Amino acid sequence: MRVLAVDDNPTCLRKLEELLLRCKYHVTKTMESKKALELLREKSNMFDLVISDVEMPDTDGFKLLEIGLEMDLPVIMLSAHSDYDSVMKGIIHGACDYLVKPVGLKELRNIWQHVVKKNITTYKKNISPSPQLLTPSESHLAPSGSKKRKEKVNDSGGDEDESDREDEDGEGSEQDGDESSTRKKPRVVWSQELHQKFVNAVQQLGLDKAVPKKILDFMNIEGLTRENVASHLQKYRLYLKKIDESQHQNMTPDTFGTKDSSYFNMSQLDGLRDFTSTRQFPSSSLLSRSHLTRFHPSVYSSINLQGTNSSNFNNHQSSSNSANPFGTYHRTLFPRSQNVNLSPLEPLQFPTSKYMGDFKTIGDRATGGSFLDTRMSFGSSSTSLPSASSNNLMLQANYTQPLHIASDKNQPCHEANSSSLNMSVHGLPRFPSHSWQGSLRTTNRFPSSCLPINHVFSQDQVAYPGSGLGDCSSLVSAENPGGEMQCEPQLLGAFMNTLDDGPKWEEQNCNMVNNQFGNVEYPLAADNIVFRDNNASRSKGLDESLMMSPIEDSATTINNSQEYVGKFTMLDADQMKHSGKPENALVVENQHDVFDDIMNEMMKQDENNGLVSAVATRFGFDSFPPP
Amino acid sequence: MDTLVAQLQRQLRDYTISLYHQGFLDDQFTELKKLQDECSPDFVAEVVSLFFEDCEKLISNMARALDQTGNVDFKLVGSSVHQLKGSSSSVGAKRVKGLCITFKECCDSQNFGGCVRCLQQVDIEYKSLKAKLQDLFNLEQQIVQAGGRIPQVDI
Repeated sequence: MRVLAVDDNPTCLRKLEELLLRCKYHVTKTMESKKALELLREKSNMFDLVISDVEMPDTDGFKLLEIGLEMDLPVIMLSAHSDYDSVMKGIIHGACDYLVKPVGLKELRNIWQHVVKKNITTYKKNISPSPQLLTPSESHLAPSGSKKRKEKVNDSGGDEDESDREDEDGEGSEQDGDESSTRKKPRVVWSQELHQKFVNAVQQLGLDKAVPKKILDFMNIEGLTRENVASHLQKYRLYLKKIDESQHQNMTPDTFGTKDSSYFNMSQLDGLRDFTSTRQFPSSSLLSRSHLTRFHPSVYSSINLQGTNSSNFNNHQSSSNSANPFGTYHRTLFPRSQNVNLSPLEPLQFPTSKYMGDFKTIGDRATGGSFLDTRMSFGSSSTSLPSASSNNLMLQANYTQPLHIASDKNQPCHEANSSSLNMSVHGLPRFPSHSWQGSLRTTNRFPSSCLPINHVFSQDQVAYPGSGLGDCSSLVSAENPGGEMQCEPQLLGAFMNTLDDGPKWEEQNCNMVNNQFGNVEYPLAADNIVFRDNNASRSKGLDESLMMSPIEDSATTINNSQEYVGKFTMLDADQMKHSGKPENALVVENQHDVFDDIMNEMMKQDENNGLVSAVATRFGFDSFPPP
Repeated sequence: MDTLVAQLQRQLRDYTISLYHQGFLDDQFTELKKLQDECSPDFVAEVVSLFFEDCEKLISNMARALDQTGNVDFKLVGSSVHQLKGSSSSVGAKRVKGLCITFKECCDSQNFGGCVRCLQQVDIEYKSLKAKLQDLFNLEQQIVQAGGRIPQVDI
């Protein structure tokens, strides 16, 4: 272990050096803190630990401490002062330890623990759950619509060789570091698991009574600070609020109770961006993000963004869901599906990066769509589309099924789906993107599938989170408030093919739909892309996630459609269960296997636009392979 | 009849013990001794001489500061005292360290007279310790020269 020892007192320094040598450490000593700073900066990898005196004439020992901390080096303070305040100051500033002179051999013998501790922490954070989730911070902190996927790890541990540790920007910064308030704060990645724990804690405590301290205790996660929890809680509350505001539709009882899914959805959407990329969705098939915004909170919860492994998608067993025709599809995505009234959603402004708003829209759209069981985890076939008449936005379902379908021809669908998902995601309130990751991804999968919704797809718009409509021949253009839906032809086609009866998608201008979906009518409201599930019979408990109708009426909402372009991955028609009465909400009941395929396909796609990812996320795809 | 070596060794032991008993040295000095081994045979001597050099430097700084009649920078004096306290505690110069504590208090209360007195005492003490340690080292050298081993003195 290589130690840098700094002390302006030669006597003490010499003794310290000898002590360290006796402990078999490699020692570099200097009396000048300036020299020490130089050494640290130039050869930051040279040292494992820094021991520094606090009171030094030319520099404050705390400065050295800060620099050491920046480099994630453990810093031990040394001082002749043993009073409480001095020690406290040192610890607050982030020192690993505070030693009082004279220092003894036994004290120095154990300093290696600090190095190991840091390394372990770093390691743990590096391999934190859901590594493939996108950076939560980005997606939800800075709604930029950019779906960068970065793995952010908590940067608390620090070691020179932890090159893969990245600092999260969004989430991390808000999460704030662990201990000291003054040091650079490592970012906390709110992975699905973590978020789930958080939500559990909140639920246990009761939202009103959930204070960060209690939540923190409840969660019992090492390394998590009260600040982290506090900021996460704040976001969660905002999210809930948004959901509540937007959720005025009939929410089916089985909507997801927790916000989890939504969050995850969001994140998933985010993560699904890559899906879209590979799909060749015509840009026109962008789904309005607005659609996505209306997600019923429950939807989110159901969208267990488990992870984004597309490969796992199929295996994803949703805990709660009954046999989901969509198999892996989580219906969590769309609790909203129940509400999917594909009624014109108010124009949501998609936060640049957040799907949040979009999701909400989607939720609203769900016209009694059958919400998939909120608990539906992604991979699970828990899509029990609640009501036959549910025009669930089977976004989720869309994901699974369409994916499969997409394999055939829904290539574009996937894209659209994902892109649409992205859009939908945007509707979601911002929440630690981390949690969203999964969901977002999933939703992304089905942007188009679910959406044949009257949503306005515009080229640059994010594709509507799959309404599971096969491919819409023409996506509704965003500019077209009329909700001209432009569906990817392929998507619709594929979708239609797979659908037994073909969902009925009502769509204003969706030729495809008519063509391909047969009896799918897309009730495109003015600018609503409403997918009606005409095939009530098909409702096989399609995941509500299938609700594709995040499409908001307002073309305006399709701002961030970039991602959605053409991602109208129409879910396989088979997959889409369309409830009889096409309402706004299009519930696509996708057969899980189809969705699985589609999802897989989508997963593979590189996100060219956020749609895919967004959609996928919406659907709570849990397995999104990182782009 | 004791050999010369044995005599010298006994002398060394007695002298060392007395230094401890008189409060010149404390357990830190013992620690220093422990760090001395074949790899660093003169470690104690090295550190101790560093300490004494330190003392001289700091004392002259303090004297200079206190000499600025009417404009004594007690903060400067205080920081020097602090330094001295650190060094003395590291080497185990118990008396010096004790004086530093008093000295610090005088500085904090800006007690000029007290500071001057403390400074004088510190000066006396460190010189006295220096002399005694010098004797000790001489004894050790004699033992070595007489072919004997320096005994481990357990306090």
